[in-house]
Amino acid sequence: MNAEARTYQKGEIPGIIAINADVCKGCDSCKRYCPTGAITGMFGAIHSIDVEKCINCGQCLINCPFGSIYETVDTVDTVIVKLQDKNVTVVGIPAPAVRVAIGEEFGMADGSLVTKEMYGAMKKAGFEILDNNFAADLTIMEEGTEFIVRARHALFGEEAHGHKVGPLPQFTSCCPAWVRYVETRYPALIPNLSSAKSPQQMAGPLAKTYGALEVWKKPPETIYTVGIMPCTAKKFEASRPEFTSAYHFLKKEGKAGSDTPYPDVDTVLTTRDIARLFKKMKIDFTKVGETDGGPLAEYTGAGTIFGNTGGVMEAAVRTAYKVLTGNELQPLEFKKVRGMKGVKSASVTLMDTKYGKEVTVNLAVVNGIHGNIEPVLESIMAGTSPYHFIEVMNCPGGCVNGGGQPIKSDGSSWLRVALPLFGWK
Amino acid sequence: MSKNQSWILKHPWSVRSFHYLLVLSFIPLAITGVVLFFKPFDQLTMNLYMRIHVVTGVILTLDAVAYFIIGFTRVIAFVKRSFSFSANDIKWFSILGGYPQKFLLRKKVAVPPMGKYNSGQKLFGICVLIGGTILIATGWGLWGFPHILPHSMAALFGTLHLVFGWLLILFLLVHIFLGIYMFDDFKAMFLHGKIPCEEAKEMAPLWVEREVVKIER
Repeated sequence: MNAEARTYQKGEIPGIIAINADVCKGCDSCKRYCPTGAITGMFGAIHSIDVEKCINCGQCLINCPFGSIYETVDTVDTVIVKLQDKNVTVVGIPAPAVRVAIGEEFGMADGSLVTKEMYGAMKKAGFEILDNNFAADLTIMEEGTEFIVRARHALFGEEAHGHKVGPLPQFTSCCPAWVRYVETRYPALIPNLSSAKSPQQMAGPLAKTYGALEVWKKPPETIYTVGIMPCTAKKFEASRPEFTSAYHFLKKEGKAGSDTPYPDVDTVLTTRDIARLFKKMKIDFTKVGETDGGPLAEYTGAGTIFGNTGGVMEAAVRTAYKVLTGNELQPLEFKKVRGMKGVKSASVTLMDTKYGKEVTVNLAVVNGIHGNIEPVLESIMAGTSPYHFIEVMNCPGGCVNGGGQPIKSDGSSWLRVALPLFGWK
Repeated sequence: MSKNQSWILKHPWSVRSFHYLLVLSFIPLAITGVVLFFKPFDQLTMNLYMRIHVVTGVILTLDAVAYFIIGFTRVIAFVKRSFSFSANDIKWFSILGGYPQKFLLRKKVAVPPMGKYNSGQKLFGICVLIGGTILIATGWGLWGFPHILPHSMAALFGTLHLVFGWLLILFLLVHIFLGIYMFDDFKAMFLHGKIPCEEAKEMAPLWVEREVVKIER
């Protein structure tokens, strides 16, 4: 591990999160939330962020009591210009956690589920919609089946066709802060990450290929994809140079329409950003009415629960169970991986009908990297980990508590600390 | 202290010792607070100032809590006096206790009769009572729990700490100036606790008339 080495590829956005020295009081709050110790500065002195160590999660930003931490990447005005350009089709990709939070920016009750109002506001602004829940369903089918391949390889020596099978335990890979954490701090464990892209990065190519050619009937190079995410690290993820799959696929097909590679996801707006965009465009979210999302806004409950801690694991277990046994998991809710505990674990025994053998799978869900991940990773490095499949979400609670979500002026996070003092549960 | 002169015990030992600790803690708190506000120095120096601010803040808290417990009756009496108002207070403020006339025009004007504390001192007392309590409470919150406080509460704590900090610093400058100007009172607070009876009759006639009892030795 060499945290001092340059940790960005060419084209990636470094330093998405920064501290305003004029506002910083040196109170040290941010350090308590930073999972990588990227924040420097002594108590009482102005703090700053080491961009090489930062994984862009934005937890410091949403938890700074004085609002001194901000995002350096703001493309709200750029997106508005694209929306007003008749030669461009702007495709919004709203994540599961956005629809339960954006209402707060417009005075609605916390946690209001406003999917159809969100579609309505997006349509009014000029977006086409590819719901990220749809892509989350794709991700979980990929991750779930990849896990089956890895497990069968480990247990029965089954080989995959055309590629090397990764080791167990398999990590989820949809959290970009977590992926960067592994890449910069535990590169030896990169093969353990699922090779499946995150829902955002599956949605981008889908929009520029199938969406452009089959749904909206537009030239792919005129499609401008906008991830609408609860997450600041998604801005970094979209800038990764390897995510130009749509261009390279279309190039082979002779349909790229450009000699310059374009990104799968052109830009990312956080929940706060999209709310600001609606306000700038004078769209009253509370009065816009309900609208359907269109053909690329169909999804299952598995995609929906991605935004919560344990959601990806629960969805993966359902998928793996169905693929291995041919039956639906009963009951469908896998409650052992729900809840706010730092590390949750569970075992599932299921029958692999292909091999006619019962298999017990040990699962873990890491709810927040900070303070939870090190022992899990160290046990894997030492070869003593009991787990086969591990979900990791950087932010406590999952994406619903992401760094791009509305900043609560009267949040209740302090209750979690205070309640044990008074007895609760 | 002349033995032929009559003296009144104005500041007993408990008050004086509370005041000593208050001086030793509040002045460093004020200086370090101003430095922390402007943040002019490097990391190590700013950290040193913050540490001094925290340590002296703890001393101030202990001092206030101890005095509240040990000198409870005096605290109650101080609160009562600070919050007792009459028409004389309006008159006193209308001429600002005669001090501007004295300092700027070298002129002595008639000042309405005052109790143990004049109207300006009562206002200062109220600011110290309320502002000091707020500074202590918000200081502890900002030091120990900013990360678990609701954001708006932390921001409110920050603002209150700043506003009352500056307010008391400005009051402190006036307090130090007038404290030294009334040198007998200054000596009483820092040395023996007593002021000359004649001066008390002039500065606080209502106090002498209504509350002071002669003790024969």
